[in-house]
Amino acid sequence: MNVAVPPPKENMGQPVARLEARSKVTGEARYSADFPLNNLAHGVLVTSAIAAGSIKSLDLEAARAVPGVIEIFTQENVKGLKDPKFGQGNSSSVQPFNGPKIWHDEQMLALVVANTHEAAEDAAYRLRASYDETKPSATFDSPGSQTLDAVGNTESHKEDPKLGDVEAALATAPVKIDVKYSTPTQHHNPIELFSTTASWQDDKLTIYEPSQFVYGYKNGVAEQLGVDPANVRVVSPLIGGAFGSKGPMTPRTAVVAYAARALNRPIRCVVSRMQGFTTATYRAETRHHIRMGATPDGRIVAYSHEGWEVTSRPDNYVVGGTETTSLVYAYGAVGTRVQIVKADRNTPGYMRSPPETPYMYALESAMDEMAAALKMDPVEFRRVNDTQKEPIKGRPYTSRSLMTCYDQAAEAFGWKKRNPAVGSMRDGDWLIGMGCSTAIYPTNIGPAAVRVRLSPKGEVRIETAAHEIGTGIRTVAGQMAAEPLGLDMKMVTVETGDTDFPPAPVAGGSNSTASVCSAVLVASNRIRDRLFRAAVTSNDGPLAGRNPGDLGMKGGMIVAADGASVKLADLFGQMGSGVIEEYVEHTPEGMPPESMAKLYSGQSSFKRGSQGDKIRFAFGAEFVEVRIHSRTREIRIPRIVGAFAGGRIMNPRTARSQLMGGMIWGIGAGLLEATEIDPRAARYVNRDLAEYMVAVNADVNQLEVILVPEEDHEVNEAGVKGVGELGNVGTPAAIQAAVFHATGKRIRDLPIRLDDLLNV
Amino acid sequence: MAVNNGEPGSAERQSGFTRRGFISAGATTATLPLIAGRALAGTPAQRAEAPDGDGKMNVTLRVNGQDQRLGLDSRTSLLDALRDHIGVTGTKKGCDHGQCGACTVLMDGKRVLSCMTLAVMAQGQDITTIEGLARPDGELHPMQQAFIDNDAFQCGYCTPGQILSAIGCVNEGHAGSDAEIREYMSGNLCRCAAYPNIVAAVQQAKTEMKEA
Ligand code: FES
Ligand code: FES
Repeated sequence: MNVAVPPPKENMGQPVARLEARSKVTGEARYSADFPLNNLAHGVLVTSAIAAGSIKSLDLEAARAVPGVIEIFTQENVKGLKDPKFGQGNSSSVQPFNGPKIWHDEQMLALVVANTHEAAEDAAYRLRASYDETKPSATFDSPGSQTLDAVGNTESHKEDPKLGDVEAALATAPVKIDVKYSTPTQHHNPIELFSTTASWQDDKLTIYEPSQFVYGYKNGVAEQLGVDPANVRVVSPLIGGAFGSKGPMTPRTAVVAYAARALNRPIRCVVSRMQGFTTATYRAETRHHIRMGATPDGRIVAYSHEGWEVTSRPDNYVVGGTETTSLVYAYGAVGTRVQIVKADRNTPGYMRSPPETPYMYALESAMDEMAAALKMDPVEFRRVNDTQKEPIKGRPYTSRSLMTCYDQAAEAFGWKKRNPAVGSMRDGDWLIGMGCSTAIYPTNIGPAAVRVRLSPKGEVRIETAAHEIGTGIRTVAGQMAAEPLGLDMKMVTVETGDTDFPPAPVAGGSNSTASVCSAVLVASNRIRDRLFRAAVTSNDGPLAGRNPGDLGMKGGMIVAADGASVKLADLFGQMGSGVIEEYVEHTPEGMPPESMAKLYSGQSSFKRGSQGDKIRFAFGAEFVEVRIHSRTREIRIPRIVGAFAGGRIMNPRTARSQLMGGMIWGIGAGLLEATEIDPRAARYVNRDLAEYMVAVNADVNQLEVILVPEEDHEVNEAGVKGVGELGNVGTPAAIQAAVFHATGKRIRDLPIRLDDLLNV
Repeated sequence: MAVNNGEPGSAERQSGFTRRGFISAGATTATLPLIAGRALAGTPAQRAEAPDGDGKMNVTLRVNGQDQRLGLDSRTSLLDALRDHIGVTGTKKGCDHGQCGACTVLMDGKRVLSCMTLAVMAQGQDITTIEGLARPDGELHPMQQAFIDNDAFQCGYCTPGQILSAIGCVNEGHAGSDAEIREYMSGNLCRCAAYPNIVAAVQQAKTEMKEA
């Protein structure tokens, strides 16, 4: 087997190919903007040229004169849309078509609808606006920005974790560091553009849109339009990358649906790459101040972490990563505080491991700095502070294999060969540095519903409104049915991404495998039980009178230990059944019972990894080698190794791919990615894929993912921890540490670029 | 560092016909504002008279071996012609600006960015899209099979462009080593970052392509 398809180790499923693989290599795979519709009109957005103020007037004349233009929708003729509710599946509380106020640069102003895409674009170029402009605040330190405590001002960050008296512990700590870090604005930039296609049949609305939460979109758009959600269907079978950006619904969806109703014609609006930077969400820039105190033998006696995050004027978005960082090591005392800084910007949102990426970067970078101050090996420093119980309330982890991950990754990486002296390793013109970091991600789980149907031929069909964003959810859900039902994966079909199917949670927080597979497992076991009961109670079948507990399923048959068997088709005949179907609503233990009903109405909730008497997290360790050219300062990453433990691995192939993708995201975050902001105009200046640099093929060389076997029966029924967001958590800090090891220079502000190293 | 606009980003060099080249030659549009879709203050430029008035141009495209006769706005890109007018939607739009590679097709066997190519300029050439690779009996092209075997995609959105680009890369003789493949496949962005698996897929397929 090749490396892309690792053989399963203990407690891992088979590395089967993705169910939709063939459709993805033949072009048959349908994404939301690919559905053919009769009489389709094309919509193009026009956005504001200022970041703060209001629209004085719009001049539509030249735009209307473009042949083929059907209508231009603006605040003048869009009436009666309700403002979205922020934090309930919506990206912001502002529906820009409801008034003249401009909250951020490139805010939606108009939707031009024309017979062709070319005419709509042409007209959009010709629309003019005059503005009352006020001076915008761009980011941290901008005049007019407003700083607030996250506690008391945000929905999700309810407390700043603390333990003991951190100031007193710092005052007496023998070894101390006091450091500041920052992470930049980043945009998800999935390769699939954002789009909405809306089509009405009488009062029934169908929306085709890439979405990580179709039930949220369905209910959200119904709410804004004031229609019955039962009349809205959202279709999103395959999503061309999301990373959080397609989780919350943006105001565009309701506007396109409104316009399609007004024109009585289906409309497709594909958002340009540039406009995607401001009409959807992003990862806000953050700042961190960490003070840490330790004993000479390396025990952390004090950890103080203050974080600042940018948000918008109308919405108090926060990630508040101290909820995780305060649980990672056996600290003696903890003090934290998170603040939000309001500026004239679009509202930020979830982006792959939203809290952990910035906050763990700061913590793990500080860990490396402390290890250096202590003259300790960075791995050993983590070992000294490793714990099976979180320090704040003393709750145990259901499982934690952090040091096993470190040991396996260190071995594969050859950490022993590292000379700890800074600047000591070199290969010709290249300075070599090596660094490592911890990765952690909570195991979240939410309520999910599935329909599983078995035919007499042994075909299984699973329907669930889960979201195939590239994680492989269809494949692992299929495996979860194929295993107990003893069927080949060829017999399995999994349909996702449609509100005609039973609801599943938002595809965020790495919950999908746990949530959906738990429900599929229950459904499959019920089908098995029904078949076994029928087999043993039938009057004269080959298995009549046996104990159901002694039966199994294999190759389309019910089999007993002694080899006696009955074919599914025969059993179905005896039962008088055409199909056997189970509809399962699975609410994880410990979640309020109403959370399932809420899911149907578009509210997704999780039992978070940090909640409960025992806490649930996946761990990993990442090692990076950097090479820095001694003359040009070019930074390369020839090698990266990550070892990760995530409970039961349903499919080593898809799990490895997700972790690999995450590690490469980490390379991007460490060395490349940043959305640059013009401080005067509060405008993103590099709003395209040439100027916003993501990792390309040539940026990645040797990459190794080690799947560390881990068994955890307490984490959830399926025994799985999500791995989609774990991979990118540790990489940037490991890169930072490696750059220091190579050069002796601490670059604390991401991304690290060659101009940071000019005077090394 | 990142080579966002490397091969096959510079479609001009490969085909000679692109939307960018066409417009800068001054044929269609006089003065477009530089920033797409941003509502500037002031008076818009007068609409330049398109050479064909507002009528459609008759365009014949040879796609996957079949002639397609279309009436198109002269500004239509090859990408939009394929997706919106012919209905082969396997070719994907990721940027519309020649920056991502998602729209890569083969023209007379060479990889070309269809978003940077005007449909009218693609006439008379053999255009191959992802739909045209498998044999009629359903047998996949070795590159398609290699992408499955090596899990060389996650969301699959960049994949049609990656596969066509990879075939171009092999045919150009730029698949000699892992390093060379990485370099010559760097014009095709994959945000899911399946890159190492894409390199493995190209390595697998190149041998079979030679044998075929
Ligand atoms: S390069 Fe053509 S769509 Fe991106
Ligand atoms: S597979 Fe998702 S962008 Fe490449």
